This record gives sequence, C-alpha cells and structure tokens, in this order.
Amino acid sequence: MRRRPGIGGLQTAAAARDQYRLLGENVAKLRTDLMKEQLATFRSQLEEFARKHKNDIRKNPTFRAQFHEMCAKVGVDPLASNKGFWAELLGIGDFYYELGVQIVEICLATRSHNGGLINLQELCMLLRQKRKTDREAVSEDDCLRAISKLKILGSGFEVISVGKRKLVRSVPTELNKDHNEILELAQAQGYVTVDEVEGRLSWTSGRATDALDTLLDEGLAMIDDGHKDGKRRYWFPCVSSISSSVGADI
Amino acid sequence: MQKLGDFKLPQFFNYPPYFTYSPALSAVVAHALAHYFNVLHSEMNWVEDIPPQLNLLVSRPVRDTREKQVQLWKDFILDYCKTQHIFVIELEEEFPLFSNPVIERSLSHEARKAFLSALVTEGRAEWLDKGHRKCLILWHRIQDWADIILRFVKDNGLEDGVMTIEEIRSGIESRGTELHGIDRTILMRALKLLEHKGKLAIFKGTSTDDEGVKFSV
Repeated sequence: MRRRPGIGGLQTAAAARDQYRLLGENVAKLRTDLMKEQLATFRSQLEEFARKHKNDIRKNPTFRAQFHEMCAKVGVDPLASNKGFWAELLGIGDFYYELGVQIVEICLATRSHNGGLINLQELCMLLRQKRKTDREAVSEDDCLRAISKLKILGSGFEVISVGKRKLVRSVPTELNKDHNEILELAQAQGYVTVDEVEGRLSWTSGRATDALDTLLDEGLAMIDDGHKDGKRRYWFPCVSSISSSVGADI
Repeated sequence: MQKLGDFKLPQFFNYPPYFTYSPALSAVVAHALAHYFNVLHSEMNWVEDIPPQLNLLVSRPVRDTREKQVQLWKDFILDYCKTQHIFVIELEEEFPLFSNPVIERSLSHEARKAFLSALVTEGRAEWLDKGHRKCLILWHRIQDWADIILRFVKDNGLEDGVMTIEEIRSGIESRGTELHGIDRTILMRALKLLEHKGKLAIFKGTSTDDEGVKFSV
C-alpha cells in the first residue's frame, strides 16, 4: 500500500494494521482448527487400529507397549477408567487391575524376606509363575503400568531406580541417598561389608554402620556371619539375582 | 535345583544369611546398648531372644525376618525327616541339613538348638536328654502314629490279635507301611496312648524281644 503523507496517510496505516491483525487471528484459528482436525482424524484412526489389532494387543506384550506409547502421544489413556470406549473395546482395564492385585499379593508374601523392596525382574518372574495358566504373557512394561495404576489408588507403591536396576517398593520406607548408594554397591555381589562401604564410598565407620543398621531394621538387609574370613556380610534380597531369592509359596 | 539324595532342597538353603541366626534386637538399639555396656557392636550377639514385653526394642521387620527364618527351617527339618524317615537328630553330629558346602555355610550350635527348640515348642519334637543334645522329631505327632497303628491293626485283621513290638516295627506286615522302621521310643509312646484308651494291652516277655501287644480294637 502506498504511503500517503498527512492524516489520510495515518488513517490508512491504522486500517492496514487492523487488517494485518485480523489476518493474523484468522491464520492462528486456521492452524488450531487444522490441528484439531488432524488430532481427531488420528484418534479415530487409532481407534480403528485398536479394533483391528485387539487380539495382538492382548497377546503380545511388546506390541502392547508400543500401542500404549502411541496412545500417550495423542493424549489417550486406555486405562483411565474401567468404563468407556477403550476399556470396553480392549478389555485391558481388567487385565491391569488383575495384575495390580497379583503384584500386591506377591509383595506382601515376600515382605518378610526382602523388607518390602523387590527388584522388578524378580517380581515379573514371580508374576509369570503365578499366572502360569493364563494365556496372556506379562512384560516388565505391563508390571510398571499396573504399578502406576496402584500408585494412583494411593497404596504406597513406588518404583525406584538403584544403579542399573528398578526396585518396586511396597512399604512406606524412605530411602535416603546413603541407603541408595549402599544398595547400588550391593548389586555387584548381592552383599556388602562395612569395610567395603567405607572404602568404596569413602565414608566414616559411623556413617556406614548407621546406614547399615537402618537398612537392617527396615528388613531390607540380612546378616551373614558365616564366611570363613569372619567378616560380617550384609545381604540385600532386593538386589539379589533370581536364583538366590526365596520365592514365597504363593 | 540342588538335591540331597532325592530330596529337593528349598531355595533359602542357598542364601547365606539364612545360616546366621537372625538378630533378636533392632540394630540401632543393639548399637546403643553396645555403647552403654562398652562392648563392641559386633559382640552384641549374646541376645538370643527378647521377652514379648520388650518388643519395643525390636522393629517389626526384624521380628518378621526372625520369624520367617525360624519357620523356614522348622518346615525344612520336618519335611526332610519325614521323607528320609529320620527320627532323631543329634546336635553334635553332622546332619546334612545343617551345612551347605556349596555356599560354605553351617548353622552354629546356637542356631541349631534354636530351630529345634522351636519345633519342641510347637509339639513337633522333644528333647531326649536334659543337656538338649538329642532331639526326637515328631514329623507325625504321637496321636497320628496312634491312628496309623489302629489302621494297621484293621488292615491286617488284628483286632483281637497279638503281636510283638518288634514285629510291629519290622515284621512282614509292616513292610510298605509307615510303621516299618519306626523309632522304638515313638512306637512305645503311641502304644501307651492307645493302652490308656483301652485299645490294647502291653505285656512284657522274657526280654525286650518278647515285649508284645494284645489288641482289643
């Protein structure tokens, strides 16, 4: 638009500004509308996909995990409620609810052995043993999802990372940084000695004993005085490998 | 899975801590007491048990760990003795359950005594001597043995019959039954129980070999 001097020119400039603003608003609205439409299309495609692959989703844990990721990307939570389209279509709400109940049972049954902290791998293994007769396979991802649903119910369940492992906590025990470091140290051999803790972590003897005492009192550690070198070992069932665990008779 | 002969060993048997009698006191408390008595923290192992009134010195998980350990060992001992037909455990002798050479651990004398005492408290064992060195294992209770004898009597048509003690233990009729090879002490106790109930009469012969029973079932 040609610049015109004088009042007329000012009026034109104002009108031009208004027009640009309107155009800008329209463009933004267009963009939002377009996005909404794209999202709606995507969601209906997702629903179509779920309908078609219902069996695969139920039977195959890897497929199921990928499906969940897809859903998360578009803000769909198939497990949000036990009613509604998703739950009815897939019936997987019940699946996770059932898993949750079984996970709670396993954690309770093993509590006197591991103090209420169990490693995810072992939990999964015990879960599979418990569900031997069921047709649907269970993955670690399934366990984590079931546990996150348990968390929402306020049942005190939490998944914590210690070193390379994930541990499932089913008691209100708070672990501080010192405790975590000891647990991580214990992952190598399943146990630690006071000397090891002092040496590897550069702690004072008091600090090491305090932390180990607390872990003992919380039932997370067990004492072993039987080694021929006479040094006391503190074993941690929650980081031990499956073969040395005590699977409760569940 | 490790086996002892034919016996399938439980998984806890391979986990070293289960061979150490787990603490009776909470560690934090033990530490404080050690300071008070001016002994080394590690010397606080003399505390074998806590009277229930002092349970506040024991955290719940510590109590649970101890209970779990005792229960596991009790069940293990009973199971093993039942399948291997073992009736007496001598604390000073080597008993396969009390050591695991694979993980190089053995139960201490105190631990063995503690687990056997727990069986005694539950009525599944009895000390045979004042010094608590020999333990009679009742993987069947005396009452159960009495029932087994009655069934044996009926199965062999001995309702009015006579049999020597030795025949009950090792005669042809006993083969294939649980009575075969039964410990003499246990057998006598079961028979005395049945005698009290009027189901039989024990009579002595010229020697222990002639000791016998007249049934009236």
